[in-house]
Amino acid sequence: MIGVVEALLLTPNEFVTYLLNGISRGMIIFLVASGLTLIFGLIGLINFAHGAMVALGGYLTIVTVGTTGSFWFGIAAGVLLVAVLGFVLEKTILHRLYDEPLLGFLGTFGIGLVIEQLLSFHFGDQSRSLESPFPGTIDLFGVAYPAHRIFVIVVGVTVALLVGALLSQTRFGLEIHATANKSATAEILGVDSGKVYTATFVLGSAFAALAGGLTAPITSMSPGIGTSYMLMAFLVIIVGGMGSFKGSFLVSMIVGQIMAFGWLFLEPTYVQMSIFVAAMVFILYKPRGFFGKPEVFE
Amino acid sequence: MNAHVNSLRQYLTDGNNRWIGVLFVLALLVLPMVSQEYFVGIVTKAVIFGLFAISVDIALGYTGLITLAPAAFFGIGAYSVAKVVVDYDASYWLGFPIAIIVAAVVAFLIGYVPIKRRIGEVYFVLFTMAFGVIVYDFTFVTTSFTGGSNGLAYVSPPMFFTINLAETVPFYYFSLFVVGILVVGLYLLLRSDYGRILHASRQNEVRMRYLGYDTDREKLLAWIISATVSSIAGAVYVGTIGVASPSLMEFALTGEVIIWVVVGGAGTFVGPFIAAFVLSLLENYLGSVWAEGYLIVLGVLFVAFIFLLPEGIMGRLQQGED
Repeated sequence: MIGVVEALLLTPNEFVTYLLNGISRGMIIFLVASGLTLIFGLIGLINFAHGAMVALGGYLTIVTVGTTGSFWFGIAAGVLLVAVLGFVLEKTILHRLYDEPLLGFLGTFGIGLVIEQLLSFHFGDQSRSLESPFPGTIDLFGVAYPAHRIFVIVVGVTVALLVGALLSQTRFGLEIHATANKSATAEILGVDSGKVYTATFVLGSAFAALAGGLTAPITSMSPGIGTSYMLMAFLVIIVGGMGSFKGSFLVSMIVGQIMAFGWLFLEPTYVQMSIFVAAMVFILYKPRGFFGKPEVFE
Repeated sequence: MNAHVNSLRQYLTDGNNRWIGVLFVLALLVLPMVSQEYFVGIVTKAVIFGLFAISVDIALGYTGLITLAPAAFFGIGAYSVAKVVVDYDASYWLGFPIAIIVAAVVAFLIGYVPIKRRIGEVYFVLFTMAFGVIVYDFTFVTTSFTGGSNGLAYVSPPMFFTINLAETVPFYYFSLFVVGILVVGLYLLLRSDYGRILHASRQNEVRMRYLGYDTDREKLLAWIISATVSSIAGAVYVGTIGVASPSLMEFALTGEVIIWVVVGGAGTFVGPFIAAFVLSLLENYLGSVWAEGYLIVLGVLFVAFIFLLPEGIMGRLQQGED
């Protein structure tokens, strides 16, 4: 009850700050979830290596920034190297595991474990952080708000729009839809489904790395950081509808806001627990998520 | 390679080679007389993890329920004993029935709806994952109830008549006794008609339903048994380390036990026990040489297993699908 009163007593400035916190947080979750949902929607793979890709992207960004001094170079290196790793993994191991969803889950689970342990072996368990390229604040709706978080929001929106366009406007998007729905028919019609799988996995992993790089200046990096993002992202894609790109965006935004405002009413851990409980209910009673029918995957 | 491993596995599970098992049990029994106390403590844990792996195999291998919640049930067992001893100052022995009851009730509440609704295995993975996270968060956040991040410390097993179970060797025999009884009991259970029903349900669930078996009920029962045995393993384990902390519920433990089960051969009963036993000894050995190495080795081994012999691993796991 005290929480309700506090929430009503929020000044407009505080309200805007929380709102933006929720959006920027939701964008990071969205970047993680969008990769997961693409990979699941198309390939049907529960990719448990995704969290490790987030952490790896973050660490590679930190290391490259440390040597070159440029945040842009760092984040580009993080995304590119993780994309290459995703390519290699997909080409060598993962593509053999697609027929068996459980093998895919177990295989990516093992890969994720190895990557995380190597990170913790190399960097130790202490967390590391990064200076943002945008250290100051920006005035937004009368609130001085950290510029880096605005940057995160801009990147998130850009990615959402680009991928939305990619899926709905391009030949490649059409091939993804076709392969996800009826891969045999798509192949007869000239779609190289193997390539589509590879490209999707690489794209998804690159998003994970981007999320890792972007979050490094906000939250300090630890080898296990990706796992907590990944768990949250899994719930987002369940509630949003497995394979639904729009659904994962919307639900990420909602979860971001719940986390931003929820702590006024409950302790953050309880907020997280209630989100997980909601996800369990969704799995049981609405496994296809909020919107009923996923877009990419049927 | 594949055939080789399969024949090895056959050899290990073959009834004619039971003398290996007998030798193993004898070796366990005489171990404290020939080795240092330090090593006995390590083997105690390895044996408990063996039981834990078998309990998970019942869900994963025998029933086909891919669960990401084993650590939660292991932790429930550990916390039940710790809570009884540390906070209520009651008898250590009271912890065990409480662990069993709590685990069984929680397993029923968690398992009933998903099993009745027959949600797909992918969804069962995610469902149990969410449950595992909630239980982990719960132990962290309810500081007054579970001790928060400090956990519940100073759990010490009591005197049993004139034997002090808090000492390493007596507790080793106590663990061996509990694990032995449960392993034999579960082995007999899975060889009984009930085990056959589970096996047949995995092979052709629809036909079993036509034959009048309530396969959902059998699965739910197996799920509850699995969770309960996991919690007993946790309840015994807490006596060796003396503290129930959130780290027992971490995802890492779930990951480890799944790896033990899969590498050992899901649905082979002995395999997961051996894998858990050997790999946790390896963990201890590597721990002194290369601390971070264990999980790397384990992960690589696991991926290699999945990559090189998926059929071997999945053979038993997937028999019900065809």
